[in-house]
Amino acid sequence: MTFEEAKTYLLERAQALRVQLEVFGSHQRELSLKAHEGRLEEVKQAQRGGIGLRLVENGRVGYAYTEDLTPPSLDWALEEARQNAALQSETGGFLPKGHALGHQDTLGEGLSAPLEAKQRAALEFEANLRKDPRVGQVMFAGYTEREVAVHLGSTEGASGTYRAGLAGLMGSMVMREGTSLKQGWGADWAGEFHVLDPGRTAHTLLERTGRLLGARPLKTGRYTAYLEPRAFAHLLLAFWSLWSGKAVLEGKSRLAGKLGTRIASPAVTLVDDPTFPQGLVRRPFDAEGTPARRTVLVEAGVLRNYLTNSEAALRLGVANTGHAARDYRGTLGVAPTNLVVEPGAGVTFETGVIVSEVMGVHAGANPISGEFSLQALGLWVEDGEIRHPVENFAISGNFLELLERVVAVGAELEWTFMGVAVGTPVVAVADLSFAGA
Amino acid sequence: MLQPELVSKLLTTAHQYGADFAEVYVERWRRRHLRVLNREVKEALSGLEYGAGVRLFFGTEVVYAYTNDLSEANLLEVTETLARLKGEKGRVDARGAGGLDFRKQTATGLHAPKMPLESQDKRYRLERLLEAEAAARVAPEIKRVETRLLEWDQEVLVANSEGAWVEDRRVRTRLVVVAIAEDERGAQTGSAGPGLSAGLELFERFPPAEVGRRAGMQALTNLRARPAPAGTMPVVIGNAFGGVIFHEALGHLLETTSVAKKASVLSDKLGEPVASPVVTYIDDGTLAHGWGSSEYDDEGHPTERTVLIENGVLKSYMVDRLGSLKTGYRPTGSGRRQDYTFAPTSRMRNTFIAPGDTPKEALFEGIEFGLYAADMGGGQVRPGSGEYNFAVKEGYIIRKGRIEEPVRGAMLVGKGPETIQRIVAVSDDLANAPGMCGSLSGSIPVEVGQPHLLVSELVVGGQA
Repeated sequence: MTFEEAKTYLLERAQALRVQLEVFGSHQRELSLKAHEGRLEEVKQAQRGGIGLRLVENGRVGYAYTEDLTPPSLDWALEEARQNAALQSETGGFLPKGHALGHQDTLGEGLSAPLEAKQRAALEFEANLRKDPRVGQVMFAGYTEREVAVHLGSTEGASGTYRAGLAGLMGSMVMREGTSLKQGWGADWAGEFHVLDPGRTAHTLLERTGRLLGARPLKTGRYTAYLEPRAFAHLLLAFWSLWSGKAVLEGKSRLAGKLGTRIASPAVTLVDDPTFPQGLVRRPFDAEGTPARRTVLVEAGVLRNYLTNSEAALRLGVANTGHAARDYRGTLGVAPTNLVVEPGAGVTFETGVIVSEVMGVHAGANPISGEFSLQALGLWVEDGEIRHPVENFAISGNFLELLERVVAVGAELEWTFMGVAVGTPVVAVADLSFAGA
Repeated sequence: MLQPELVSKLLTTAHQYGADFAEVYVERWRRRHLRVLNREVKEALSGLEYGAGVRLFFGTEVVYAYTNDLSEANLLEVTETLARLKGEKGRVDARGAGGLDFRKQTATGLHAPKMPLESQDKRYRLERLLEAEAAARVAPEIKRVETRLLEWDQEVLVANSEGAWVEDRRVRTRLVVVAIAEDERGAQTGSAGPGLSAGLELFERFPPAEVGRRAGMQALTNLRARPAPAGTMPVVIGNAFGGVIFHEALGHLLETTSVAKKASVLSDKLGEPVASPVVTYIDDGTLAHGWGSSEYDDEGHPTERTVLIENGVLKSYMVDRLGSLKTGYRPTGSGRRQDYTFAPTSRMRNTFIAPGDTPKEALFEGIEFGLYAADMGGGQVRPGSGEYNFAVKEGYIIRKGRIEEPVRGAMLVGKGPETIQRIVAVSDDLANAPGMCGSLSGSIPVEVGQPHLLVSELVVGGQA
């Protein structure tokens, strides 16, 4: 069956069973081209899709999904979802009232370049990386594109589809100078293939990694941290769930009960905007069909909103910000799309550490307590001048305390994409703990 | 899942385009996930994943495609499109037009579940989670408890142009308990998460009440803990999940995926001393019911026990088919992938440091000031530079040879090759624990393990 046929089949079955049902389908296409020593080493092209069900019966919610769209598998999923709903002791679950959302295309001709052009981009990127004599090995370098089509339908009237996509250059290589070794990685993403520039991406990656060669240990202490966009983006990606209405409801966010209060330095304004014109990712509506719009999370240091879906909004008694998120293989949650730290007046380097990247975020950051302790790389800066790179150290603290200590925000946005797109300038934080030699 | 005639047709098509090797991977995967928070079912999810991956080698160049439209027409089209990306039609299959004569191999059931997905009803599962939750509430400070049950039942078929036909079934079950302790100063977490290649009999090996209690006690310990100190000091690393440090610092550096490109700091070092002589490091895919075990790897090669390092000397890498082709090293049954959406690469299975003969207590003797990393979170490594990090989930200060007050928020950082030289003593209490490992071919189940051991000095990232 096609998605549309499966959707119709499931909604008809749900009506016969007198249950509420939401059908969320997505179909993803992927092309990836990896170059190695001037040849295409790995080519991957793929398609994957499936249907996720959210079923409500007697106010209880159950989930199921299937990638096999034959009637027996669709029936199996429907039955599993009913059994799963029956397990819930909690009632009050519901599906939001929906409406027709039409078909929207945010991708257009963005990925329509011929395959040969994409192959050339991958090869050119890798060749540019190898031009630097300090590069020992290129671990991987290549081009990737992803395109997704989302289909939504519900017994409550929601119906719509959209199409979105991204193209990117990604690479990682090892650089050597004397006995010093650094493995760098980098990625540039864009909504359109022709915006990518293999020369520029390679140049940035080489520059970012090369400047870390010859790093010295850092003495343990408390210093001003100048968090480069990619480092700050990784922290935000680790801690965005502090703003999740679902986490707030479940007692897993330290921002619970703090709407309207100051939680960060006045220099900090944080927004999520799925409609941001320069944003990497665009979506016209969320996973429940709520139209997308800009949401201010922190305004000059004051907590203004959580990210919500219909359930979190109702239970918290706040407006629905339209941040319902799900993959067909998962359950309904909330998630940001384009997180943006609004640019500030700029950062002047004085004395401290420019943190170029943080590592180990999945293990060293605890979004419930807000605490983090992360391996980092960077540069020692003194009296406004970069003196030498530093290594083998960790930064630690509490993310909310870090936000309070933000002393300056840079003037230019830089984008990082890891499922969620984050646009942030350099962020300067006073008095951060650095553990080193 | 697919008929041999169709698989044969796909592989032959690839040959006709000049592919040196072709492989078809098919899986049908049922999953269940149940999440309970404070006695309420928050999420109950069931799923069916169904898809195929086709991989072709042209020399050491690889093309891969995956799809979950498994109709004959689509699979043939996918294979043709893929083959056309690299080759030109015309080569005659040496085995003629009669199709491949597959050598069928079926798993013997070494890791077969006693209580598979179909056994017991969902209520039974919920009751076990509620038992774990009740036991996690060890003190009034435990304000929230979240329990999860994950069940996987994956059927796999791998067939290739060399005539291999392997069917394997992997059933895995994992229970995860996270306890949150809270007081006026803030919130801290504790967790425990046993998992096996087995069915619901997991609950017999790991009674839910014990798992819950461990998570609760850890949260309470962390609530009472002070921030960890910062600096370089001796560290005793606890057994079981403590092994994650060597998974990061050592294991990833021994995978041919980076070794073949000479992008690992341990490339070209077979036969050389690379670790302290007290270190023997083993990767064993055959451990009965091990979380990272399977009878065959995802390339259809039987898994095995591979001694990687023996008394400090490098004995073997972890080798997949492509890695073997590039390096000439013997394949070790280490080709693994998350699912059909990934081509396999060389990966760890159940990887652990073999027991030594130092009594655990003796490791602490003579440490004036250090850290006891009793339980670990996850970590990460850059194989090209060997730089790694990992988080301590439960830690204590060692003062004058004694384990004293708890500390939290410690992150250990270093360079793998240096750290493994600094292991000065290994105790005799080997234990393993499950985890998920993310790398080029996705996120896969692995066990890590070790006895207690002493590292003479490590950078501890805490509060300066």
